[in-house]
Amino acid sequence: MTKKYRFIGKTTPRKDGVAIVTGKADYIDDIHPVSMLHGKVLRSPHPHANITAIHTDKAKDAPGVRAVLTHADVPPWMTGMPRHVKVLDQRVRFVGDAVALVAADTLEQATAALDLIEVTYEPLPAVFDMDAALAPGAPQLHDIFPGNLVTDFPAFGPNTLSKVVRGDVEKGFEAADFISEGTFGYENIANPLPIEPPGVIAQWEDDQRLTVWSGTQSASWHRWIMQSKMGFPDIRAITTQCGGSFGSKNYAPQCLFYASALAKETGRAVKVCYTKDEHFGAFVLRLGSRFCGKIGMKKDGTVTAVAGDWMVDNGAFSDMSQSQIAVGCGEAQLVLNCENWNLTTKLVCTNRCPSGVIRGFGGQELESAFAPILADVMAKAQLDPVEFFKKNYVKPGGKYIWREGNLWTCRGKDYTDAMEKGAVSFGWKDKWNGWLVPTAVEGSKRTGVGIGIHGNADVGEDDSEAYIRLNADGTATIHASVSESGMGQRSSLCKMAAEVLQLPLEKVHMTPPDTLVNPFDFGLVGSRGTYAVGSAVINAAEDALKKLFERVAPELQAQPEDLDTLDARIFVKGKPEQAMGWGRAIGIMRSVTGYGEFKSDYSVPNFLALFVEVEVDTQTGAVKIKRVVTSTDAGQIIDPPSLNGQLYGALGSAGLDTAVFEETIIDKKSGHMLNMNMCDYKWRTFNELPEFENVILETPFPTHRFKAIGVGEISTSPGPGAVLMAVSNAMGQHMTDYPLTPDRILKVWGEKKGIKNETV
Amino acid sequence: MKLFKHFDAESIDHVLEMVTATNGKTALMAGGTDLMGVLKSELLAAYPEVVINLKTIAGLDTIKMVDQECRIGATTRLTDIAASEPIQTTFPALAAAAASVGSPELRNMGTIGGNLCQDTRCWYYRYPDKMGGRIPCYRKGKGPCHAIRGENRYHAILGGKKCYAVCPSDLAIALGALDARVKVVGPTAEQMMPILDFFNVLGTVLKPDELVTEIRIPLPSKTAVQIFLKNRVRDAVDFAVVSVAVMVDQEEGVCRDARIILGAVAPTPYRAFAAEAAINGKSLNETHVAAAAEAAVKDAKPLSQNAYKIDITKALIHRALLSS
Repeated sequence: MTKKYRFIGKTTPRKDGVAIVTGKADYIDDIHPVSMLHGKVLRSPHPHANITAIHTDKAKDAPGVRAVLTHADVPPWMTGMPRHVKVLDQRVRFVGDAVALVAADTLEQATAALDLIEVTYEPLPAVFDMDAALAPGAPQLHDIFPGNLVTDFPAFGPNTLSKVVRGDVEKGFEAADFISEGTFGYENIANPLPIEPPGVIAQWEDDQRLTVWSGTQSASWHRWIMQSKMGFPDIRAITTQCGGSFGSKNYAPQCLFYASALAKETGRAVKVCYTKDEHFGAFVLRLGSRFCGKIGMKKDGTVTAVAGDWMVDNGAFSDMSQSQIAVGCGEAQLVLNCENWNLTTKLVCTNRCPSGVIRGFGGQELESAFAPILADVMAKAQLDPVEFFKKNYVKPGGKYIWREGNLWTCRGKDYTDAMEKGAVSFGWKDKWNGWLVPTAVEGSKRTGVGIGIHGNADVGEDDSEAYIRLNADGTATIHASVSESGMGQRSSLCKMAAEVLQLPLEKVHMTPPDTLVNPFDFGLVGSRGTYAVGSAVINAAEDALKKLFERVAPELQAQPEDLDTLDARIFVKGKPEQAMGWGRAIGIMRSVTGYGEFKSDYSVPNFLALFVEVEVDTQTGAVKIKRVVTSTDAGQIIDPPSLNGQLYGALGSAGLDTAVFEETIIDKKSGHMLNMNMCDYKWRTFNELPEFENVILETPFPTHRFKAIGVGEISTSPGPGAVLMAVSNAMGQHMTDYPLTPDRILKVWGEKKGIKNETV
Repeated sequence: MKLFKHFDAESIDHVLEMVTATNGKTALMAGGTDLMGVLKSELLAAYPEVVINLKTIAGLDTIKMVDQECRIGATTRLTDIAASEPIQTTFPALAAAAASVGSPELRNMGTIGGNLCQDTRCWYYRYPDKMGGRIPCYRKGKGPCHAIRGENRYHAILGGKKCYAVCPSDLAIALGALDARVKVVGPTAEQMMPILDFFNVLGTVLKPDELVTEIRIPLPSKTAVQIFLKNRVRDAVDFAVVSVAVMVDQEEGVCRDARIILGAVAPTPYRAFAAEAAINGKSLNETHVAAAAEAAVKDAKPLSQNAYKIDITKALIHRALLSS
């Protein structure tokens, strides 16, 4: 750290912090446009059925009801990838699928009217598992996907990654000293469960102009992606605070469809806010993932070949699965630097709640599924997994095929130092006793340790634009389409701009997340906030200053490059008396606007290692996470609490805890989701937070103005595999199934001890 | 949430009058922490027209020591029970059970009466109506018990027949070990019943026009030891996977009058008579304790996914007795 910054790297108050903790911040539930109606969705009792008749007369006559819509009278908008999911369909594909929509004056009236809609169904056979969906003669969910296989991969252009074929796997396996194979799943289909369920308010300004408010993560998605699904109306997308998203609320196409269709029908603003039940049962889940294949390795830990089939459970539909498969295929290559690959994929439709964007975005699913195979082959080779991961992640100069199908050469950082420092902080050397050997045993309590790593070439993904307006009053306004979904990045962007402009932090603000007043930004997805969005904002700030200096240079009798600014006062470097305030420099009837952009760049991956210590009680089957250490390199920390928050997020929200207890439970015969509440869906409570340490190195990253690189997204992904490894070591037995609930622990332990309980 | 009328009750007589006047279309609410979930999910076809708030009845939330017994009013909050010095001193198992419920927020709202009367957590039974329709089942008077051939990791391993949903009450288990009685008041009569008789396989014996007003616990022998242990997936906002409450007296190292009650393993609080017999008249050594643990589950008939509860039950009995 050679450069001392005024704001960067320091803990500064989060700009929206007081508003959040005092209840002043607006969430979607707080927004009430004039004469707004409430929309509700009638949902299917069947996992798969045709609607043969639907009668809405009684509902339409009910008190307060303004509109009832069915598949026969909704607009012809389509979502899904490729487009195949209607606003409402004559066919329902999961228990809880949408059947009809109601708008009424009050929420209670809309809900009551649902009971008055009479629907006749022709039930169809359903499939709840990928094997059943792929079996010959299986019921088909979608006519355009024969055999329930989605084969069209348009996500990132014509060469979107849907498989990894590199080198010669046969030769690779021949060169291997050890080969492990098998079929293992990561099929928790977890739900990250941000506190506020998704919600959208829609209002048509005229036939072509639609305004939507939502509590979602990426405002621009509700404009540019939804436009393409709705025949290109001019959508103004505004987002509120959204109480967390973890990817899942990047957008909410169904909510937006329902609200917009009802708004069109009634000519009024309509709010469709999901209940928690709907958030669980009819929004989006993590993809189901199963890997059937093998990995070959030399004695020294060189991975010689990876081959297999990655089966991905889509649920009833999704418009992001192919994107996640593409990114997951890329991420696997970042973790396993191997020359020979034959990784194929299958995207399979089943009759359960749809999938969507969830933090970890493909790589977590794939890596968690093949973790047992990787553990097995490492154990055969008796390799220390820390040494293995250090050896095998992609370093500068290494190659990988990324999501759009191009071969990239890594020009990022070397994370070896970070991993080593993490291992020291964790005490790995003292705790690691070899494969399937516990760290300690005390009565029925057995301790074990594990490690996982994850990397993503997303710090520079997708494009960003930003304006900055310098005002005569010595303030600056950032125009960027950046929503706040809990990570505090809007505050950090203000810090970056304030540092460039040398303004007090309280003089720098952002426009609200509103696509009408802001240029394009892809949004805070992946780990792109610091590098991609941050660079656009920094570039805009620099551009604005350049223009300002050019404007005042003649008056200050200096060249623009000789000028500097501090606290809204421009001066000639070395001659502080030769100065002028921004008020005069800009002029009270004018402003100065700078423009900045960022163009996507996939050559920079980030990495994070996660070390975990667990305690297994072999009498009760309880798995307790005792300690977690993450280690990474942020280049330059922008805001310490925000970064730590991202890393602490490794635990919950469909992350590490999917190895312990987070899972969606669906009845295998009826398709009913059974644990759709915050009690039966287990998620970690505050009283059970483990000891948690983040080891964050700051090795300057050259191409960012402040030498920073994003690491936000990747913290969840190494957790599940690391826990599996730690529990395996504690128990002295390879554990392969997620989550490691007491029933699984006790079953394996009982078998190991030769005890068996008879079931009826 | 569907609308209902809400009345603040002034007295128990007032409650009984209103229940009669509304023809039973009432729901009685103390803390409401369970009832609000039941109503929001619309999990029963019948929906109350009136919700009667019992918390406004004066004097129903007190803890009193009277005539060799402790009397706890039905609307006494779990927080107050857990923090009560006489309860902590004399009935530590009850204090521990109360402290184990939900979270501080839920304990600040929830009451002892409500804890005993809460509805089961069976996830088929609890399926919310607006997600495709509530699921009919044996407990609701129509259809089979879906847990038998379905997802049954939390269901009964003992005593299940037509319905395998388990009693969710933690306090019932501790009160069972303490040999408590429940005062049930109806329009024509009031009765005191042993806590274990208060429950049946489909919930409680309460009729629609009856309510619990008080719990009475006899003072235990000065030498008796009490333990309450609760196993759950996570240590807050979670119901028991298995719980056990034990009260046992020991004289010169020999057990007598053992009461061992198991929770969340059967449709009702389950008294493990065989386990009690295995230690009565004996010392609490490893052999006898292991025999008691085995005896407790000898009748267990686990379903496809809940055999692990047998192991946990044994472990809990073992731990409870060895710490006695």
